This record gives sequence, C-alpha cells and structure tokens, in this order.
Amino acid sequence: MEAEPLIAFDRVSVTLGGLPVLTDIDLRIDAGDFVCVVGPSGCGKTTMLRLLGGLLEPTAGEVRYAGKRITEPRADIAVMFQDYGRALLPWRTVAGNVSLALEALDVPKGERPARIAAALATVGLSAKAEKYPNQLSGGMQQRLQIARCLAQEPKVLLMDEPFGALDAMTRQTLQDEVLSIVSASGATVFFVTHDLEEAVYLGNRVIGLLPHPGRVASDVAVALPRPRNQLTTREDPEFARLRRQLFDFIKDAEA
Amino acid sequence: MKRVPAVLRGLAFPVALIAIAQIAAMAVRLQSDTLASPAAVLVAGAGAFADGSILVATAQTLANAFGGLALGGIAGLIGGILLGSSIVADRLMEFSVEALRPIPSVALIPVAMLTFGFGFRMEVAIVSFAAFWPVLILTRSAVGGVDAGLLDVARVLRLGPFARTVKIILPAALPRIFVAFRLAAGIALTVAVTVEVSANPLGLGYNMMLAEQSLHPDLMLAYLLWIGIMGWALNLTINGAQRRFFGRSAQARTAP
Amino acid sequence: MRISWRLGSFAVGAVFIAVWQLLANAHLISPVYLPGPDRTWGALVRGFASGVFPDQVWNTVQRMFVGWLLASLAGIAIGACIGLSRPARAYLGPTLEFLRPLPASAVVPLGIVLFGLSDNMVLSVIAFGALWPTLLATVHGFAAVEPCLYEVSRALGMSRLAVIWKIALPSSLPDILSGMRLSLTVSLILAVVGEMLASRPGLGSGILIAARTFHAPDLYAGVVLLGALGYITAQGLFAVEARLLRWRVHHR
Repeated sequence: MEAEPLIAFDRVSVTLGGLPVLTDIDLRIDAGDFVCVVGPSGCGKTTMLRLLGGLLEPTAGEVRYAGKRITEPRADIAVMFQDYGRALLPWRTVAGNVSLALEALDVPKGERPARIAAALATVGLSAKAEKYPNQLSGGMQQRLQIARCLAQEPKVLLMDEPFGALDAMTRQTLQDEVLSIVSASGATVFFVTHDLEEAVYLGNRVIGLLPHPGRVASDVAVALPRPRNQLTTREDPEFARLRRQLFDFIKDAEA
Repeated sequence: MKRVPAVLRGLAFPVALIAIAQIAAMAVRLQSDTLASPAAVLVAGAGAFADGSILVATAQTLANAFGGLALGGIAGLIGGILLGSSIVADRLMEFSVEALRPIPSVALIPVAMLTFGFGFRMEVAIVSFAAFWPVLILTRSAVGGVDAGLLDVARVLRLGPFARTVKIILPAALPRIFVAFRLAAGIALTVAVTVEVSANPLGLGYNMMLAEQSLHPDLMLAYLLWIGIMGWALNLTINGAQRRFFGRSAQARTAP
Repeated sequence: MRISWRLGSFAVGAVFIAVWQLLANAHLISPVYLPGPDRTWGALVRGFASGVFPDQVWNTVQRMFVGWLLASLAGIAIGACIGLSRPARAYLGPTLEFLRPLPASAVVPLGIVLFGLSDNMVLSVIAFGALWPTLLATVHGFAAVEPCLYEVSRALGMSRLAVIWKIALPSSLPDILSGMRLSLTVSLILAVVGEMLASRPGLGSGILIAARTFHAPDLYAGVVLLGALGYITAQGLFAVEARLLRWRVHHR
C-alpha cells in the first residue's frame, strides 16, 4: 500500500468560460518534491497552480492536500505571483509587506518582529527593511515576495513563473537562493516556468503539460546530484539529455 | 441569469428615482412654492423652450463661456509654451504664478463688477481668468514634457525657435494641450453659471435664480436639469472630438 | 542654486507689483477702480487692526472647513460602498457621470428654496458641492485597486474587513486625497458665493459690499486675503498628502 502523497490531483478537470482548460489530470506529489511544470502557452500550468492555491475549484475531480480536499487557500501553502510589481503593497515598507502575511495569520504582535527579521535575513533584505518596494530592483522585489511567503512558514511553495521578468544574472542568483532556502526548510515546491533549463536545473521532477485539452503528457525524474551548481550541473551530460528530451517534447507539442 | 444590458442598468436608477418623485408628488397633491413634480418640471421646461427664453439664456451662457475660454485659453497657451520652453522663464515666474493662481475666480466678481458693470464683459473677464490657469499649467507641462529626442532633431535640423515651436513642439504636445482645453471648457461653463447665479443678470444661472425668486420651482428645476444636460453634452462632445482626433492612446483620464 | 532662483522669482513678482503701483499712480485707470498696492496694503492693515478681517476670515474658513469635512466623510463612505460593489458601479455609474460636470453653483437656488437665505443654506450648498469630487474620486480609487492584490489577500486568507482596511483603502488613498483637494477648492468657491447671495458675514460678502460702496482698496485687500486663503489651504493639504503618500514615486 503506497504512502498517501502530500498533494494529489485526482481526475481533475477545469472548464473556464465554456472552454476546457484541464482534462482528467492525475498527479501525485510527495513531501519534499521540487516539481517543475513546463508546457506551451495555454496548457493550463498556471491553472494547476491556482487549484493548489485554493484560488480555483475544479469543475470535476478533487485536489487533495494531506488527504483533504483543497477548497480555499491554506495557511501552510504559500503562493508567489509572477508579476511582483502588482503583488506587493507599494504603500508598505519591505518589513510591512512581510508583516501582512503574519497579520493575516493572526500571529501575535509580539512575535511578528522576530519572524519578519528572520524572513528578511533569509532572503538577504535585512538592510532594506524600511525601504518601499518602488525603491527596490526587480530581483529584490521578487525576494520580498519570497520573504512574505517564508513568513507563513509554509509546507508548500507555489511559484508562478517567478523569475520570468528578471535578467539572466539575477535569475540565476535567485534560482540558487530558492534551492538553498528550500533545502533548509524542507518545503515542497510546485514551480511553473517557461524556461526548460530552469526546470531541469531546479527540480527533481519535471512535468510536461500539453494543451487542447490540458493534460499531463510527460513526467520525468531528474536524477542530477544536489546541491546544484550553475556551472557543473549545467555541464553534466544528464542535464543535456534531459534538456534535449524536454525540448523535443515541447517542439512536438507546438507542431 | 439574464444579463441586463448596460444601457438599461444605467438608466434604471434615475428612472426609478423620477418615478418615485412623481408618484409621491401626485399622492401628496403637491402645490408648493418650494418643490415641483417631475411632470411639472417637464412642462415648465417645454414652455421655456416654446417661448425661446431658455434658448436665449443658453446662447448667452455659452457665448460667455466660450468667449472666456478663447481669451483665457489662448493667453494660457502662449504663456504655457513660453514657460514650458524656457526653464529660466519658468523659474522666474514661479512666485507670480503661485501667488495669483489660488485666487478663486468668484473673488473677482466684485472687481469685475466695479470695472465693467454688469453684462458680457464682466463675465467673460472672470471666465478668462478661470480658464487661463489650467491651460497655462497643463500646456507648460505638455511642452516641457516633449520627448528630448524630438528636440534633438530640431537642433540637428537647425530650426529657429519659431519653426521649432510650430513644427515640432506644438504637434508633439497637442494631445495634452487638448486635454488642457477640455478641462478648461468644463471650468468655463461652471464659472459662467456661477457668475450668473451670483451677480450677472443674464444667462442660464440668472434665469434659474429668477425662477426661484418668483416662486416657480418647476421652472427653476427645469433650468437646473438643462444646465446639467448642457454640461454633460459638452463633456461628451469634447470627449468624442478627442477620441476622433487623437485616438484612444491620447485619452488621458482627467484627474478627479 | 535653488535659492537664487527663488529670489529671482520674488524679484520678478516685485517688478509686477511695482508696475501695478506705477499704473495706479499714473491714474491711467481711475483710482476708484484700481487702487495701488500701497492703498491695498493700507486697507489690509486697517482691516486687521479693526478686527473686521479676522472676523470675516474666521467665518469663511469655518464654513469652508465644516462643509468640506462633512462632504469628505460622506464622500469617502458612500464612494467606498459604491466603488467596492460592481453592481452598484454598474447601476449608479452613469448617473454619477452625468452629475460630474454639473456646476456646483447650480444647486444654489435649490438651496435657497429649501433653506432660505441662511447660514444653513450656505453650509448645505458647500457640503453638497464639495461632496462630488471626493465621492467620484473615491469610487474611482476603490474600483481601480490592483486585482492582483485581491488575489494576494485571498491567498493569505484575509477577512473582508481586513481587505478593505489594509488593501483597498490605502490603495485608494492617492485618489481620495486628490478628490479632497478639489473638494476644498469647491468649498472655498461656494463659501464665497453663498456669502455673497445670502449676505452672511464673511470675506465673500465683505468684498461684495466693498465693491457696491466703491471702497476699492477694501475690495482688493479682501481678494488678496481670499487668494492667501486658497494658497494656504492648498499647501496644507499638499503637505498632508506628501506625508501620507511618502511611498509614491514622483514623476515630473
């Protein structure tokens, strides 16, 4: 009898505005997995993320967390939005933005400063605690979002193309930061991305979705050693093989 | 669930309000010096149209408003171009502009009364003062905000200041200058009506006051409604013109 | 650098005042209509010394602020309710858009009809006129809250009250303050108009009487005071706005 997975998609279908977005999705995610989801536009990867975030309910089937159906957002599942400029409160300082998560969780006032300081320290924003988001660079704003998610002490991190709008150097730095944060906290990660190399670099599993109808078409294990390294991991022949496999998968899909 | 079309949804509230007022007035058999039923208002309004009085008043108000808009607008345009083109001029004029700007145009009603007596000149003078400032300020920032790249083109082509203004700066700033005039037009109408309500014995504002003083609430409310329609129609026309000439891209939302 | 430009602009202002003085002295325009800055200043000093101006200023300021505060509170409350509710916006929006360009002074006769020529009339007209800019701005502000922030609040499991207080209200604050600024301008104008029409004591009626009795220096002194009032209140509100909206990036 296999162990109950942390997250289960059980014959999940989603129809939005009359159009089928996801059809019969079956997926199991175990605790500690770093699952990267790739696929061409319109394949439903963001929809899957929103289902896990409790922002959307399936038209058919069930999405379960620790055996129970997800019907609304959970405190132990943190969501990180793609457009950081719009997901941060411009009128609150960096510390204030992190505090929002704690306020929502009804964390007692006395405990908040310590938890905020810890979250900011983890992402390296301690020196910027009193700055406003519009005084920060894109990379720092995204780190602020990460800090807000970490303040929830989540078991699961949902990340929706978090590094898409950043330049290549910042993206690589943040990839490594996420890896170290996740390995320290043991969180399970559901990471949506367009970038195939990023998916292979970060994940221990890469799920490929195809559109029309949205379905899981590929589920590949990534056996590269951890901790990952931007140079050595990317030079590993297994990395190249996996990248080629995914590349072909996408190319066939768009054909 | 049937979706109610937007037009009906928008009309539902006012129509309901008018219907309730009418029914209430009829139920109470309203005969009053202070209030009138919607039906009576319509009748009074139709009467004012029939004998031309409302049209004459409208012409007077609009003449004053547009006269003042033209005078104040052109002065504001020239001033705005000067201040927008020259940082020196802008900085030197800062105190004078900031000192004169906050004077409420209504405060000048007695001044204009003293100088011109009653009539068109007095009202046009005040409307010009009121319309001058938004055009000045917004033209200044429109001209000052012309893309530096375009100014470089003017320099490279060795255009003189007049040619540069007419061929490069004005066309580039035109969408925002239009918005300035749009704002000023609304202000012009408002100030014209205000002057007529306060002092000047002509136009829609004055006729409305006259109706109130002669205990004709139905006529007064008819004028009020008509003034509202005028303002709304003016707004609509200018917005339409802006869309037509400048397209959606230039449509800036006027600050509330 | 900044200071020398400031001084330069004061100097230019002084030049204009000197020109005014010269025009007045030369009697190109009759001194009945155009008193020089010297006589205007004299009237200002006299008015303050005799206690006339302080009284008038106090009356006008009082009306203006009471009307404005009432209007702002009502405008924010009603505007928030409408702005947060899509059906309310759909049904009331067109009516509000029709009322937006209505000149505030057009309701003065209605005010007279309802309240007579009294202080109440002036106050109600001020409050009614000043209501609309704040209300409309508040509706706009609440309707334009960044939708992604609503998602964030759902993901964090925030209560409806918390969403309004911590997300919608701060997000709308720039629009609300901008509307309140406009409302303040309207309340000054309507205070003056109301005082003129109802002959209630204040700066408005003061300058009207001065004009009617051909006391031009008193008239001009009153106008200067009204300008100063407009300036001070606008600057005050700007300062409050700057403090509350420190987080904003300012573009020229």
